[in-house]
Amino acid sequence: MNPIKVISALLSFLFAVLVISLAYTQIVKNKKYVKLSMTNRIRLLPVEGTRGRIFDRNGALLVSSRTSFDAVVIPQELKMSVNTLSRLAQILGLAPEEVFKKVEKNYKAPFVPVAVREDVGKEKALVIEEESTVLPGVIIRVTPRREYKYGEAGSHILGYLGEIGEGELDRLRDYGYQLRDRIGKAGLEKNYDNYLRGEGGGMQLEVDNRGNFIKLLGKKDARYGRDLMLTIDMRLQEFIEAAMAGKTGACVVMEPYTGEVFALASKPDFDPGIFIDKEKSRERADLLSDPGRPMLNRAIAGLYPAGSVFKPVVAAAALEKKRIMPQGTLFCGGSYVLGGNSFDCWDEDGHGAQTVVEGIKNSCNVFFYQLGRMTGADDIYNYAARFGYGSPTGIDLREEAAGLLPSKAWKRSAKKEAWFEGDTLNFSIGQGNLLVTPIQVVRMTAALSNGGILIQPHLVKKIGDIEVSKGKSRDTGVSSRTLDIIKEGMRMVVEAPGGTGQRARVEGLRIAGKTGTAQSAGVSHAWFTGYSPIDNPRLAIVVFLEHGGKGGIDAAELAAKVFAEAKRIGLL
Amino acid sequence: MDIKELDKTLLALVFLIFIIGLFCLYSASYSRNVEFGVNLIPKQLTWMAIGLVILVAVLLIDYQKIVDMGYFFYGLGLFALFLVLIFGHATLGAQRWFTIAGFNLQPSEFNKIVFIIMMASYLGHARAEIVNIKGLLVPLLLTAPPFILILAQPDLGTALILVPVLFAMLLVAGARPKHLIGFVLIGLISSPIFWNFLKAYQKKRLLVFLNPDIDPLGAGYTIIQSKIAIGSGGFFGKGWLAGTQNQLNFLPERHTDFIFSVIGEEWGFFGAMVLVGLYFLILKRGLIIIERTTDIYGRLVGAGILTMLGIQVFVNISMTIGLMPVVGLPLPLISYGGSSLWTTLIAVGLLLNVGMRRTRF
Repeated sequence: MNPIKVISALLSFLFAVLVISLAYTQIVKNKKYVKLSMTNRIRLLPVEGTRGRIFDRNGALLVSSRTSFDAVVIPQELKMSVNTLSRLAQILGLAPEEVFKKVEKNYKAPFVPVAVREDVGKEKALVIEEESTVLPGVIIRVTPRREYKYGEAGSHILGYLGEIGEGELDRLRDYGYQLRDRIGKAGLEKNYDNYLRGEGGGMQLEVDNRGNFIKLLGKKDARYGRDLMLTIDMRLQEFIEAAMAGKTGACVVMEPYTGEVFALASKPDFDPGIFIDKEKSRERADLLSDPGRPMLNRAIAGLYPAGSVFKPVVAAAALEKKRIMPQGTLFCGGSYVLGGNSFDCWDEDGHGAQTVVEGIKNSCNVFFYQLGRMTGADDIYNYAARFGYGSPTGIDLREEAAGLLPSKAWKRSAKKEAWFEGDTLNFSIGQGNLLVTPIQVVRMTAALSNGGILIQPHLVKKIGDIEVSKGKSRDTGVSSRTLDIIKEGMRMVVEAPGGTGQRARVEGLRIAGKTGTAQSAGVSHAWFTGYSPIDNPRLAIVVFLEHGGKGGIDAAELAAKVFAEAKRIGLL
Repeated sequence: MDIKELDKTLLALVFLIFIIGLFCLYSASYSRNVEFGVNLIPKQLTWMAIGLVILVAVLLIDYQKIVDMGYFFYGLGLFALFLVLIFGHATLGAQRWFTIAGFNLQPSEFNKIVFIIMMASYLGHARAEIVNIKGLLVPLLLTAPPFILILAQPDLGTALILVPVLFAMLLVAGARPKHLIGFVLIGLISSPIFWNFLKAYQKKRLLVFLNPDIDPLGAGYTIIQSKIAIGSGGFFGKGWLAGTQNQLNFLPERHTDFIFSVIGEEWGFFGAMVLVGLYFLILKRGLIIIERTTDIYGRLVGAGILTMLGIQVFVNISMTIGLMPVVGLPLPLISYGGSSLWTTLIAVGLLLNVGMRRTRF
């Protein structure tokens, strides 16, 4: 064996190994390493886009994104200089250690700016800009900052912002949402987030092995989000919220033909600005743990027994199904006996013989017990469903609840129990398992007043320059003859002597309505729903006061105030 | 001596690789965040100029005479290794350098060539003995002093390269292949014992070789970044001065031991193949010279030199792509540094010398 040949073969073998290994690394694995070399050198620095503003129907600015001046440092240029940080602390009125800690805690990379203090105000920002030559690495960053001009007013409509959550990010990543994005967490801020949110821009930076900035590779300017114009009239909204101060409840005022919501109040409420300021975490925690549940939008997500405001539905079912003639009467002797149990009317003396109109006017329980039994639970259920109970109205807020419209089938499956006649009695006066939201009640009222069309309430009139369509409406199929009878009853509730809702009267306005006193644990809930003018309705209302006592008193009075204000500002 | 017998192709290949090396060095020191205070090119050119004078000097003296002085060089080399342990400069935890007139000299580099000359001198006389397994004891004992002194610096890579060189020369001298294979097996089996003699940083390097991700920002960093650089080069590379790993300073030691990463990133697989091909051609030219040489001393010197160059190229490139542990061996003719360049040029000079004088016998 020739030793030179052996050496030659061994060396050739080693070189063959080199060729194969290089081919594997550079050609087979090329994509992987290209990606790794990219992540090595390219960093993205997102720039927040400015969120769209929100205006009311008259163009009043409700929510804006004003310019905020944040004092930030760029670690790469700052190099943790004690002099610079001390001077910065002095300007900001902070302790130097505090500034040090903040920079250290929030440090991410040499080129990623660290906010020392957000929203420092124009004066301090100017001082920092002027001293920029002696404050290397300190800059004033201009960022948009959400501002809720009316404070707590309209907070349940507007909602609030927060940092994007993990689940939301997973769902929305494909739509361009990124980590640490601010996103609408409730209300219109949430529902219209993809319109409101500015398109975030960003800078693509090339960095070296220490993460130091080398050069700008690309830049995409941030873009404004689209403005919203609401159907809300902020004057009326503010008036209602002031009138409801200290109370718990909800009030919705709506155009009965289009579903444009003029006002939607829920009390108690909150200041959306608390969610903007990073330093207000205490207040945020307090809000969320408040037993009064100020974060709950009672107008659309509060579930309550309907009480007597449900009676028009029962009347409609009975009349449509011809279980009672318009002139037909039923007698109230003050109580109704079923299976050995006595069910009382609210008036112990009884209302005597009454037509449907009178039954509504008097809100007579005994009349509706009999009418309900004559009609049957199935038909009451059918007509309640036609008037929209048991399903969300489709208002443009995500928080809306569907309510609960009980039926025989529902009771069997949910309660494992048969439907009893007593259930029908409760159902007939809007009690029992029935749960409704105030917005469902005002939609029913609108449908009664507008010729039987169930409209979709909505809060947004325009997105940018584009008019938002009215939404879906649907015919309840209830005849105008039936509607006329019910409306006459509701007119008399307010206008006739002895009507339960006389306190809703307003000088110079013709108003129809229905009161409700819904039994609940403790003090009853008070309801009033109505519309005006009677012949050509332009406004429908619901007032709900949690544990507010009798519907004919505070709720009706509040409705009267709202009608009067609506007239004053020209909505009526 | 016959000047017509000078292998000009081999010499041309050497120049070609050196010029490619200059381009790489320029790129490696081009980035704006350079850590090197001076431009490396003039210094490397100075080394080359002096190196060429040495090469010519080596050519002019009959290699026989050089081999005859093998033990003298051997003694001188050991003395230098001894001195550097006492007076040398430490860099990266290893004591390898002398500084003379602003230039760093690395005795362990020269000792490789000295070792070859000395071993040729011994084996040329001792061919009868080494057929016996006992006869292999003397060559092993002669290898031990430089091996241990270099290891003590510590310079694991240079020390270890003596082993294949010794084996190749033994093979050419007529040692039994089965004896040599036996030694290799014994070495492999006993390697866990040597583990204990390694310095902490050497152990770490070996562990990191097995899994670079155990310490991605420390010991594994170099390997990972080097692999990224070479792998991201693709087929045609990112272009000269355009390698992001190189220019943005992600590659440490990229002007010395890891200069191949720069080539792989900027010139791609294509450039790497050209370079590997050029090295292979040098080896092929060398093998032709040895095959034509009848003189045993010439054959021994040639085999030692080719093994040294071939193994060094292989180990250097292998460690940049994570195929072998990082042991700190320069890429001949390309890595920055005078000692390595001169050693390679002396080696090439000796090879040419053998080629020119082979017809005498």
